[in-house]
Amino acid sequence: MWKIIKNEWKYYGRTPWLLGISVGFVLVLFLSIWLGNFQTQKQTERYNTASNELRAQWESIDAMNPHNAAHYGTYVFKPANMLSSLDEGVNSITGNVLRLEGHVQNEIVHSEASQMQTISKFGKLKSSLLLQYIVPILLIFLAFSSISNEKRSGRLKLLILQGAKPISLIFAKTLSIWLYGVGLLVLTIMAYSLFHLNDLNVEVLGRTTLLLVSYSLYYFIITGLTVFFSARWENSTIALTSMLGIWIIWTIFLPNILMSSVEKWHDLPSRNEFKAAMQEDRSKGLDGHNPSDERAKELEEKVLVEYGVDSLSQLPINFDGLVMQEDEEYGNKVWDKHFGELRKVLASQKKSYQMGGLFDPFISLQNASMGFAGNDNLHHQEFLVQVENYRRVFIKMLNDKHAYGGSETGDWGWEADNEFFKSVPDFEYKPTALASVFPHYITDVLLLVGWSILVLSLIVFGAKKMQVL
Amino acid sequence: MRDLTIFLYEWKHFFRNPFKILAVFLFIVAGVYGLNNGYSLYQNQTAEIEKIHEKIQTEKEQYQQQYAEGKLTDDSRPWIDMASPFWAIWYTPTYHIKTPSPAMVYSIGQAEQYGFYKRVTFMASPYDADMAEEIANPERLQTGTLDFAFVVLFLLPLLLLILLYNIKSAEAEQGFLPLIEVQTASKNSWLISRILFYFLLVTSVTIGLLIYGAMLTDVFKNASEAFGQILLYTLLYLAFWSLIFFFILKNGNSILGNTLQMVGVWLLLAFVIPAIVHQSISISKPANLMTEFIEVRDKQEELYANDSVFERKLIDLFPEITKTTAFNDETKFNSAMSNSAYALVNELNKEAIRPIEKESQDKNTLIEATYWFNPVTFFQNKFNSIAQTNYNDYQVYRDEIQALIDKRTGVLIEDIWADVKVDTERYKWYSESLSTAR
Repeated sequence: MWKIIKNEWKYYGRTPWLLGISVGFVLVLFLSIWLGNFQTQKQTERYNTASNELRAQWESIDAMNPHNAAHYGTYVFKPANMLSSLDEGVNSITGNVLRLEGHVQNEIVHSEASQMQTISKFGKLKSSLLLQYIVPILLIFLAFSSISNEKRSGRLKLLILQGAKPISLIFAKTLSIWLYGVGLLVLTIMAYSLFHLNDLNVEVLGRTTLLLVSYSLYYFIITGLTVFFSARWENSTIALTSMLGIWIIWTIFLPNILMSSVEKWHDLPSRNEFKAAMQEDRSKGLDGHNPSDERAKELEEKVLVEYGVDSLSQLPINFDGLVMQEDEEYGNKVWDKHFGELRKVLASQKKSYQMGGLFDPFISLQNASMGFAGNDNLHHQEFLVQVENYRRVFIKMLNDKHAYGGSETGDWGWEADNEFFKSVPDFEYKPTALASVFPHYITDVLLLVGWSILVLSLIVFGAKKMQVL
Repeated sequence: MRDLTIFLYEWKHFFRNPFKILAVFLFIVAGVYGLNNGYSLYQNQTAEIEKIHEKIQTEKEQYQQQYAEGKLTDDSRPWIDMASPFWAIWYTPTYHIKTPSPAMVYSIGQAEQYGFYKRVTFMASPYDADMAEEIANPERLQTGTLDFAFVVLFLLPLLLLILLYNIKSAEAEQGFLPLIEVQTASKNSWLISRILFYFLLVTSVTIGLLIYGAMLTDVFKNASEAFGQILLYTLLYLAFWSLIFFFILKNGNSILGNTLQMVGVWLLLAFVIPAIVHQSISISKPANLMTEFIEVRDKQEELYANDSVFERKLIDLFPEITKTTAFNDETKFNSAMSNSAYALVNELNKEAIRPIEKESQDKNTLIEATYWFNPVTFFQNKFNSIAQTNYNDYQVYRDEIQALIDKRTGVLIEDIWADVKVDTERYKWYSESLSTAR
């Protein structure tokens, strides 16, 4: 079998058009990595400038009432992920700017896609675009006539007479073409690593290894299936057109149709409904600016008893700060409920979409690629949760300062000093660890393995049914 | 061989090829599915707009009732006085809506990236968080919805490829080509006739789909011009691909070679070139983080901190206020001044928005400059434009919102300084007049 593989590779080396395409393709791959890397750098520069500017603005607050500062708020920008140069995932669609302020959990806005006209329906020139869409086509063109040509030329008979087993022949042809795809993958990962030598760590290596495994499995599926068709049918054109048809259905047709369908199966609320439901729940609670409602009354009684005084004016603290924090905590429950439900719907959509991998391994590859690159919706949601957790700490610090900083109830003119504002920590994004999210991608990897086993069985079946004479 | 005979033979050839029939069938299925996706979004937006109209109506009626009953304040919030223009306008519910065009059935375009309704207030701006898109799964937005435009832009060339890939090369490989040359006056006209057959076949299928789409949203009644334009650009696009494939088929004599070239050109035009352009524009002009817009908050603080600067800026902006009663009445001056703050904030917002919009416009200019070698993007944006789902349509929508904010703050300043007392009639006027920018 290894002899056949070696011969095949010798043939590739002697085929000028294939060499030309390969060299050209490798150059485009390197270009995509270089451009992707350059874009991430530019985006990171912009991110750093904006973040530093915002922090400087916050730290330059001389004196301000803490509640006014909660309304003044701050902003968090979504940082670029290092693996974005391989697969950008949902990053150009999701927003980049998130306003953090009191009383409300805002949504991330100002996506890159909304800042210009449409350009590419399939995204930027990232390695993922080439590896997901173009390489499989190359593999199909390499494989579709691999066996049928041998049949037509009569070489197959000769090989069988010389002792080669049909199964070994088909398997060797599959492996030799598959290795070509894997070679391109390895080159991509190596080039990527060269650009990020200083940033390589276990996390990045783990993610890139999983990317390599996922793509390798998909390439095996594509190659194996094409070689199977080539062995099954006399006419290589039928093998080619069938595989092109399958490629169109898998790559263009099904992902779109399935993604649109899952959103219908698991309905998301309209923005209006979502806001109205939160407002409804929120209105049942405290009004941060109006300490006269029922909940405030209860809180007032509790605090008066706690401090052993009869009226708010006798309190050594600023009751308004407590009311606002209580309101904030009630609000947090409301956000958790509604945003939590939203996340549940999105998770259900994702699970249903992942099951689409049963019919279309490209779906599993796309999910795994975005996920292992850390740029899918799951990682995006993780980022949003981290920001919201920070907002809660941020607002609590301001409310606590308002309550215990030295002012009295009703004193809205009291101001905290610059030292306090400097002491409020900045948001620090901790990239989601692969280990914590890996279980979400097991379905995708298992489906790719399942498809590979199926293709392997087809190859064995194809070898048995193949007419040699 | 006469053209009609070639057409008849091609018809027979087509009907005897299940693979080609399946391809046409799948194309029709995708087209119908895409049109229904467009229709579904059109329906959802229309239903949401209907709900908003109902909500506005209820709110308006509630406030008009308050005016009729003379209940112009709220016991729990005694500072509210709806007889004053400030609070009356504050409580004038105004939404600006981007009504979807019936042609949306053909191209969803960028419709899912932007909001299509906006509550206009004094503090509003066209770049507020509520201008964000409807809640949607980002992965779905990334994958893109399969709409009719997608079917035309990406699947139509593939359908054509499947229908044409073996024309002439099959005959060449089987050695019939010299025979055909003898039978036909010209090899090229034979090839053109065969391609023309499929061109007409795909045209008929596309027209059928366009008519089906038109029936879903009443395009003929409400956007007949859009129908004509979509048809024209679809045919141009089809002709463009037919021409490319004609040259490949004319110069090639092997099925594999021709298929490879056809797929290669398709990948180049549909994937690689747009992706390179996208990447280059992202590098030369990375996503704007809206820092100019964020800075308004500090400029606002600076404005409030200095009364004389505030007054000077307000007078520069509205010189006519110096002749009003409130300006010359010490008891009313301060309140009128503080209630005018939103007009100045609006100006700060507009100043901040200008460079942001310029950057977006520069990106669009760059995109348009690539159209000569990036035809798929050209047709894509053309379809979006016809369906009014293009960036520029949303820019017009944002401009309209800004005009409404300007009008609102303008009326606010005029009435505050003229010390207008708002009654039922004036409130009705606010309700009607502030909803339109004219």
